[in-house]
Amino acid sequence: MMFLSLLVFSPLLGIVLLMFVRKTDERMIQWLGTAATVPPLILALFAFIQSGRGFRLERLDEARDWVRLTDLPFLTDAAYVIRYELGIDGLSLVFIVLTAVLATLAALASMLVKTEKKGYFLWLLALEIGMLGVFSAANFVWFFLFLEVTLVAMFLLVGKWGGFERERAAYSYLLYNGLGSALLLVVIAVLLARTGTANFALLHEMLHNPAAEGQLIAPLTEEGRRWLLGGLLLAFAVKLPAVPFHRWIIRVHVEAPPPVVMLHAGVLLKIAAYGMIRFGVGLFPDEFRSFAGVLALFGVINVLYGALLALRQRELKRVLAYSSVSHMGVVLIGLGALNEAGIQGAVLQSVAHGLISALSFLLVGVLAHRMGTTDINRLGGLTKAMPLFSGYLLTAALALLGLPGLAGFVGEFTSFLGLFQTKPALAAVGALGLIFAAVYSLKAVLDITFGRPRDRREAVVSSREPQASAASLGEPQGGVVDLQGKEAVPAFILVALIVAVGVYPQLLAAPLTAVVKTMMNGLGG
Amino acid sequence: MTLSAYLALALILFCIGLYGALTKRNTVIVLICIELMLNAANINFVAFAKYGAHPSVHGHVFALFAIAVAAAEAAVGLAALIAFYRSRKTVQVDEANSLKH
Amino acid sequence: MMNLAWVVPLFPLGSFILLLLFGRRWKQRSAYVGIAAAFLSLLLALAVLVDRLGGSTYEANWTWMTIGGVTLTVGISATALNAWMLVVVALVSWLVHVYSQGYMAGDERFSTFYAYLGLFTFAMLGLVLSPNLLQAYIFWELVGLGSFLLIGFYFYKEEAKAAAKKAFIMTRIGDVGFFIGMMLLFWQTHSFDYDDIFRAVGDGTLSPGMTTLAVILIFIGAIGKSGQFPLHTWLPDAMEGPTPVSALIHAATMVAAGVYLVAALFPLYEASHAAMMTVATIGGVTAIFAATIGLVQTDIKRVLAYSTISQLGYMMLALGAGSYVAAIFHLTTHAFFKALLFLAAGSVIHAVRTQNIEEMGGLWRRLPWTAPLFLIGALSISGVPLFAGFFSKDEILTAAWTNGPRLLFWLAVAAALLTSFYMFRLFFLVFAGKARHHEDAHDAPASMVAPMLVLGVLSIASGYMQTPWFGSFLGEWLTDGAYRHEAAPGWIAVLATIVSFAGIFLAWLMYGAQKMPRDWLSARVPYVDELLRRHYYIDDIYRLTVVSLVSWISRLLTYVDRFLVEGLARLAAGIVGAAASAGSRGQNGQAQTYGAVTVAGLAILVVIFALTGGYWL
Repeated sequence: MMFLSLLVFSPLLGIVLLMFVRKTDERMIQWLGTAATVPPLILALFAFIQSGRGFRLERLDEARDWVRLTDLPFLTDAAYVIRYELGIDGLSLVFIVLTAVLATLAALASMLVKTEKKGYFLWLLALEIGMLGVFSAANFVWFFLFLEVTLVAMFLLVGKWGGFERERAAYSYLLYNGLGSALLLVVIAVLLARTGTANFALLHEMLHNPAAEGQLIAPLTEEGRRWLLGGLLLAFAVKLPAVPFHRWIIRVHVEAPPPVVMLHAGVLLKIAAYGMIRFGVGLFPDEFRSFAGVLALFGVINVLYGALLALRQRELKRVLAYSSVSHMGVVLIGLGALNEAGIQGAVLQSVAHGLISALSFLLVGVLAHRMGTTDINRLGGLTKAMPLFSGYLLTAALALLGLPGLAGFVGEFTSFLGLFQTKPALAAVGALGLIFAAVYSLKAVLDITFGRPRDRREAVVSSREPQASAASLGEPQGGVVDLQGKEAVPAFILVALIVAVGVYPQLLAAPLTAVVKTMMNGLGG
Repeated sequence: MTLSAYLALALILFCIGLYGALTKRNTVIVLICIELMLNAANINFVAFAKYGAHPSVHGHVFALFAIAVAAAEAAVGLAALIAFYRSRKTVQVDEANSLKH
Repeated sequence: MMNLAWVVPLFPLGSFILLLLFGRRWKQRSAYVGIAAAFLSLLLALAVLVDRLGGSTYEANWTWMTIGGVTLTVGISATALNAWMLVVVALVSWLVHVYSQGYMAGDERFSTFYAYLGLFTFAMLGLVLSPNLLQAYIFWELVGLGSFLLIGFYFYKEEAKAAAKKAFIMTRIGDVGFFIGMMLLFWQTHSFDYDDIFRAVGDGTLSPGMTTLAVILIFIGAIGKSGQFPLHTWLPDAMEGPTPVSALIHAATMVAAGVYLVAALFPLYEASHAAMMTVATIGGVTAIFAATIGLVQTDIKRVLAYSTISQLGYMMLALGAGSYVAAIFHLTTHAFFKALLFLAAGSVIHAVRTQNIEEMGGLWRRLPWTAPLFLIGALSISGVPLFAGFFSKDEILTAAWTNGPRLLFWLAVAAALLTSFYMFRLFFLVFAGKARHHEDAHDAPASMVAPMLVLGVLSIASGYMQTPWFGSFLGEWLTDGAYRHEAAPGWIAVLATIVSFAGIFLAWLMYGAQKMPRDWLSARVPYVDELLRRHYYIDDIYRLTVVSLVSWISRLLTYVDRFLVEGLARLAAGIVGAAASAGSRGQNGQAQTYGAVTVAGLAILVVIFALTGGYWL
């Protein structure tokens, strides 16, 4: 069975085919690029449906020898073997489906990208391979390799196809994430050196089974484990991002092309959540307990800090960027709760925020294309000219503020439910974020869609933050036209998914139940 | 006691050599200092061969090897130095920086 | 039929979805879809009620989400209270659907209006069927969404935008209280189900302190939704919405949701004396507080809005005084007469195109249907004997007298006086006196008058469900026969009657016969007048305290973010950069420098090795 390899690398076919397309044939590129994201989508959905019917995901595991350091003279009986290993469980599957869906929708939304389309799609597909690989890897080294693929692809996508300050944004993306990766690499290297394996399951076995302790190449003390977990959490905190490592995300949200942000906010940020759950809770459950309080505290700080800053922004992309910070705080809250509800909440919130931010940035792309600006001060009363668009935007805002019946509520509710068990006072403070979320999202969206139509040339420059005024103030390219059929399709799909998750969260909770239960066993709770 | 005396001598020689090799500007002196360090190592070899935990002939052999190699090295070094002097009219170490850029 | 109760909310939901998809094509015909859906809901709701009248509670649950070992459910629960609320909501909703066909005719977004009405009705019906707190919370917020959308229906008006935003945010503040309270209860009882929670109170799993804390937090949610002091300020502003909406949402149904919630959790509240006192006090204070503001309003809808707040205060007072039945009774009669008043006000606005009562007058003849119907509503709310409001208000006063603190009773009596005064001030200003230039004003079409007629009948008839004379049907049924009528001192009814007539007489003196100068109050105590006109400066206080505090913190954090956080990042980058340039200065091409660095590095490694023995992890 090569199912997972096929799933992960199927966009490669698109890359190869795209190489043979002429640079100027934009329609073909768009068509081919979008089509290339369909095979992983089909495979992912297939796997999702099959697992729902009781198919055991372990049967998809793959393993090949890759690097074998057995014959080195200084190694006596231990062996450093790094294998090419893929394998998924319910947790990975949820994220893989999210990735595949958002990749297709982002490819559809990329029709608004006009320059250097060929290169754009090449890197977009590479990004998809990286993201799918990250979630399918059953091995730390391969996890890291795929993670670096996404890093490079994102760097180029932001740096070449972004807004005015794209290069700065790309570099700050690279710097922050590179630092996180470096830290992660240290942790991986130490683990590999001490245990001789990078496979998750084996690592888990070696770290937890007292009988296997003897097989360690070198001992791993309690203190050492805590350091490793600390490094791991810090690495992912930069990538999540947790305050105060969040500045890069603001730049990337503002500067990157909207379809790329759909993937960035939608999937890439979730890698950090995934990593914290898989490696943090999965490999070091006992040590995780001592970090839980800090995580929860940072979660609440994230929620409030992001929300309070979002209040003052007058540029839609920045509002959304800070709201991402705020929503990622909810993920931390769930993890900090460290109980069934909390962990499940963290995953649900990740998926929900993925869908919601994808919808928001899809609409931001359309708005920037139509009006030439996303500056709230220059917009107003859009409902008149673009009723459909405004309806979708309002839906996105309502989802952002956690309206029940939409996906955002499910994530927030479950995460908070978790924290209320362990730290009710902290959770109550964090719940204030719900109020601020309502204020900032309604303020931003109502100012754009309600009220009197504003002449965009009035140019009310009130925002003193330099980046804000620079935000892609081009000429409107499409004129004020409502959402067109082709753009409405991804928006409709996203809204449908958001509603589906919000109305019947069991859809997502079902594949997670077994994973969460396993993790809770690891925690001894 | 005797071993420590030899080792101390070797240490002093080595430090003098190291200091000279790192600070002197004349290449000839630097080469001489390198010889000093090599000889400090030779003393260690011989001292351990005679007074060490497992006295044997290995140390002596190594010392002889080192002396031979040092002689060859000095010859090559001086030849290179002469070539350098011919092209640059100087034997100062800090002026041998044409590979810097 | 009770097992089909879950279908009741689905009709309006279907109407919402259909109209969203095809509304633009159907245009004015959209109304029929909405009306039909609401009517089907009403029929089914009536069937459920009839079933429940002769049967017992039916409950059904379905899995919503599993979290580890816990299964959260959604479902329906047809308790007596729920079945009753179902009918009240469905009935008023249907009447408003019918009325809107005339009122909103010709509006560009006619179908959207009906879609939103459907969404709201769905949410409200879902709320009153909830068997657990979680579901109640979900629909609670959805109800808020419907209200938000409808207040902001005239999206191009800046006032409507602000009002919609304010309504959502103010109620959200309350909702967070609800949210926290709900979570606390869950971890105490491991369930959201009302029954489980009540059981936990009964067997002492739930400590009294925790009960009090949780129910007061939940009550904050009710304060927000029901426009109780101090979270009431959104309700008057919500009058920016179309008038049928005000009738449906901001008078009859949604604002009563807070009362419903407290009633649904009544066993929990009863377990905590402190919570009951809180409810009663907030209710009593709100009743008098809003009534005083109502005295000086000049916008016809705002007078009614403040009167709504005041009446809701009455209901809360009744709940706090332990009279669950009186609260629900007043909720029902209020739903009818206040919806009637709003619809009649809508009809007046429809006719004269203004909401300012100082520009109206002498409309009695021009609006031959609306005027008498408005009078019925006004008489009912004022508590004139034989009208519905008289009976329900009497019930509340009795409860307040027997169980509540004396002060609250007298506040309620004073509020009753004020109520009849401002209602008849409104009546005389609008319908009596000299006719002003509204020559073209004519009465509403039949589609608007018919619902008002139905409500007019109900505003009188609904009082006879629960009277001291014919028996307390409602009470006995709601409490499954456990109801015992308080032996009320007869003088309370007399006092209530006197008070209500006194208010009417006073209003007649000032505004009808004009025997008393209108500025009688403002001339004597101008600052009181000013205080009332500015709504006790509550909005200003909020603006100066909470709003400016949050915006100040937000501004502070912006600077922190831009300078401190960014600065630290730059500092870190700078250190790396400095280290790099220092390092590259070391890269000078001098073999001797390299040698020195190598030796230093070796020395450091040796030291580390010596100190740690080789393992530092």
